[in-house]
Amino acid sequence: MDEEPERAKRWEGGYERTWEVLKEDESGSLKATVEEILYQSKRKRVIESHGQVRLGMMRHLFVVIDCSRSMEDQDLKPNRLTSTLKLMEAFIDGYFDQNPISQVGIITTKNKRAEKLTDLAGNPKKHIAMLKKAVDTVCVGEPSLYNSLKLAIQTLKHMPGHTSREILIILSSLTTCDPANIYEMTKTLKSLNVRVSIIGLSAEVRVCTVLTRETGGSYHVILDESHFKELLMLHVKPPPTSSSSECSLIRMGFPQHTIGSLADQDAKPAFSMSHLDSSSGPSLGGYFCPQCHSNYTELPVECKVCGLTLVSAPHLARSFHHLFPLDAFIESPVEEHQRNGFCQACQGELKDKSIFTCPSCRSVFCVECDLFIHDSLHCCPSCIHSQTAS
Amino acid sequence: MKLNIEGLLVYFPYDYIYPEQYSYMLELKRTLDAKGHGVLEMPSGTGKTISLLSLIVAYQRAFPLDVTKLIYCSRTVPEIEKVVEELRKLMEFYAKETGERNNFLALALSSRKNLCIHPEILHANIVVYSYHYLLDPKIADLVSKELAKKSVVVFDEAHNIDNVCIDSMSVNITRRTLDRCQNNVDTLQNTIQKIKETDAAKLREEYRRLVEGLKEANVARETDIYLSNPVLPDEILKEAVPGTIRTAEHFVGFLRRFLEYLKSRLRVHHVVQESAPQFLKDIFDKVCIDRKPLRFCAERLQSLLRTLEIADIADFSAVTLISNFATLVSTYSQGFTIIIEPFEDRTPTIANPVLHFSCMDPSIAIKPVFQRFQSVIITSGTLSPLDIYPRILDFRPVTMASFTMTLNTFNVCLCLVALSSKFETREDFAVIRNYGNLLLEMSAVVPDGIVAFFTSYVYMENIVASWYEQGILENIQRNKLIFIETQDAAETSMALEKYQEACENGRGAILLSVARGKVSEGIDFVHHFGRAVIMFGVPYVYTQSRILKARLEYLRDQFQIRENDFLTFDAMRHAAQCVGRAIRGKTDYGLMIFADKRYARADKRGKLPRWIQEHINDGSLNLTVDETVQLSKHFLRQMAQPFRQEDQLGLSLLTLEQLESEEMLQKITQIAHQT
Repeated sequence: MDEEPERAKRWEGGYERTWEVLKEDESGSLKATVEEILYQSKRKRVIESHGQVRLGMMRHLFVVIDCSRSMEDQDLKPNRLTSTLKLMEAFIDGYFDQNPISQVGIITTKNKRAEKLTDLAGNPKKHIAMLKKAVDTVCVGEPSLYNSLKLAIQTLKHMPGHTSREILIILSSLTTCDPANIYEMTKTLKSLNVRVSIIGLSAEVRVCTVLTRETGGSYHVILDESHFKELLMLHVKPPPTSSSSECSLIRMGFPQHTIGSLADQDAKPAFSMSHLDSSSGPSLGGYFCPQCHSNYTELPVECKVCGLTLVSAPHLARSFHHLFPLDAFIESPVEEHQRNGFCQACQGELKDKSIFTCPSCRSVFCVECDLFIHDSLHCCPSCIHSQTAS
Repeated sequence: MKLNIEGLLVYFPYDYIYPEQYSYMLELKRTLDAKGHGVLEMPSGTGKTISLLSLIVAYQRAFPLDVTKLIYCSRTVPEIEKVVEELRKLMEFYAKETGERNNFLALALSSRKNLCIHPEILHANIVVYSYHYLLDPKIADLVSKELAKKSVVVFDEAHNIDNVCIDSMSVNITRRTLDRCQNNVDTLQNTIQKIKETDAAKLREEYRRLVEGLKEANVARETDIYLSNPVLPDEILKEAVPGTIRTAEHFVGFLRRFLEYLKSRLRVHHVVQESAPQFLKDIFDKVCIDRKPLRFCAERLQSLLRTLEIADIADFSAVTLISNFATLVSTYSQGFTIIIEPFEDRTPTIANPVLHFSCMDPSIAIKPVFQRFQSVIITSGTLSPLDIYPRILDFRPVTMASFTMTLNTFNVCLCLVALSSKFETREDFAVIRNYGNLLLEMSAVVPDGIVAFFTSYVYMENIVASWYEQGILENIQRNKLIFIETQDAAETSMALEKYQEACENGRGAILLSVARGKVSEGIDFVHHFGRAVIMFGVPYVYTQSRILKARLEYLRDQFQIRENDFLTFDAMRHAAQCVGRAIRGKTDYGLMIFADKRYARADKRGKLPRWIQEHINDGSLNLTVDETVQLSKHFLRQMAQPFRQEDQLGLSLLTLEQLESEEMLQKITQIAHQT
């Protein structure tokens, strides 16, 4: 809470019933139940990802950001728009971290129209730069779900069938202004295998419930900023593919990174293909496409000349772990644990109400480390340790 | 699942049961055991209908001699259809569990197109139909008089039963009625003339029958075949039709005289209010009509219509109305009043005389029902305060209970906003603007549908006009579409349809409607169709009406119910009905906003149903508009979190094992709140 930027006028905001968090109530109080649900959903995230399911490894995701009048509401600090864009930056980072061979595009909707902020692309920097710029957007009018979806599927429908097509909508407004029947659009989306998920910033809206249910996405409404972040991060993990999506072999190139020096006679300076439009000059080194020798400064990228997908081996490996997930750790109450009360990973004292045991090496972890292991490491540190030791 | 309710095996067609359903069945069983009447209040959406049906059907099977028939009365056709649907489910479950084809016959009388007159229907075990078939003497005579004494009668959604009773016994006569009546009488005379020429014997035969009197009817009633008709009291049956109206021509002449008298009475310039004896004295002085022939008027007309073999009785509704009026006015010296108004209150310049013959005592119409049937159950979601119903309907119930809804989370957020709409201040500019602000703010935070109720059509029109001038309406329309209920039924159903469409496709809408209107009584706003209900003001009945004044006076004199108590009771039951429209089940959630500070007073709050009162805490009293908005935002976010059935299980939803646990049975006994 301390990191939050100061708001200009504090009295402009609503009443913050901070004391209600402290309310302890045995008789089924709302707060207690909701917190329990939140904890459960945190755990669920870990548990759900297990099981041998096919995952959409190559994802094409459009994020629709509502920029309507209601985004100026100050119940997220400093307002909904700024808060959303900040979280989106973190999301983009996390997304490419977990899905290096996937792509993202951003659409904004306001004043009954939808505009593309960035096109589908695999470069996080460009998206983040655009998001930073978008902070000054004036929020006016109403959003249009129909127009946003239409804009998104114009691009998505051309994506190959083995990739997953997803749309994530961050909706603040409670209304949508549509030029045609949205339920027709839902059918189109369904036939195109596009999955629509929605994060609501204010309340449950019927049309969103139907839209997400029909297309197989998820619908959540935020409670506060931290819950918002959590919900957004749910979408970082690749979703299971629908059985109807096709399988195919994909040609991929693994270009070597070469560093040319001016002293080297053979070095040929070349323009990076991805920066042709920008003003950067020719460089000596870079990634050269194994097929056509176009030069790229960054990976992953689709070769603009021959259309080959260029990735690096670590990228592929990073995406790979989703297919072989780490087994869920066994949760048990802390009292049942007799041995030393320290977490195997952080060496901190186990003081939460439950502990987590790795099923293969029987090591014990605290809830924080459990989340970290499953979210970031994807392997049990003490298992790895014993493997190398033997 | 199969339940054991105090030794009675009840088949319940669902795998889970709510604790309050169990409790409800328990109370119901006790009522049937005692062969008495009962008043039971349970919130809507908790499965009242299926609880009622499963228990009574089980009871019928276990004690076929004690309870022969279930008569289930509901209000509207959709409600009747819902009951039949539940019943079908129950019967399928029976067939599955017991493996035998059941020999239960159920019958629903909904509309004319489904009407069946096969004699077999008399043996149906379950009859589902509208109140009017039992209460309205005109219809009851045709449909219900042969129902067996050992029936159980259930009045569902019975919070307005007193008004239904009163309406069924009241007569309004306008000039048009009299004109049509005049035509009827002319037709009668012509038909008599014709018959006399062709078949004089028929009329003689009728005359002979009338001399013998109405003995047959009397025998039938004494031998307990018929439900007695309140229009035709017992003592008349013992006498013969008086000589003055025995022949057909004399009777028509008599009707003409009576008609002329009524016409002369309608030619008034000021309001007249008089009692039935005064009216009788006046009619005797003016046109020499005695009390006795008047009392036989309805019966005599029936006999004449039968003799003349007139097929289309509906054409003769006007003359039937007049003759019913004649019989009623001469029979009951108490409980009725006659008010003649030369014009309507709203249009004091246009002459439109009306004679109101108004019933003030609902117990008159319902008395035969209570007397005849061994158990009468009155049930609804809003019957508070429970003790007032036995008082105004004049019966002694053996059980009176109110049940609450068990919930694992609170799915109702109740806000009492401190705004005023007292009659004196309600035209105030500031009050209207405050109301507008509340609606505007709510339209920005509540998703999908909002239903707002006003106290009357006139008041709503004023407010909407004023909002338009202040530009509030325009601002609201940026958030949601606005639809308005009008007095025109077709227009209203159109508005309702569009409203639901707007809720469905994400546009969001507000429906402005009126308490006591069509929307407030029969239409449910499930889930997204009603996420919030706002009640602007306290829906008091229009107190300046002379009929109401007369009724209040009567209540005070006869039942010792103070005027204020009754008015508040009446207003609060309507308010509860209105806000109750939004919550129609346990997975449903909604905001209930009472926008008037008078609701916070103890006398108002105390008259709300228990399941609403439970949600009122100190934090929801006397809120400002800002606080309401904050509270609503918070609540709506909480409610949007995923909700799973497992969370509910064991707390508010029970399996058979859980139900049978000792601890749960303890808890269940606390649900019913005896009064």
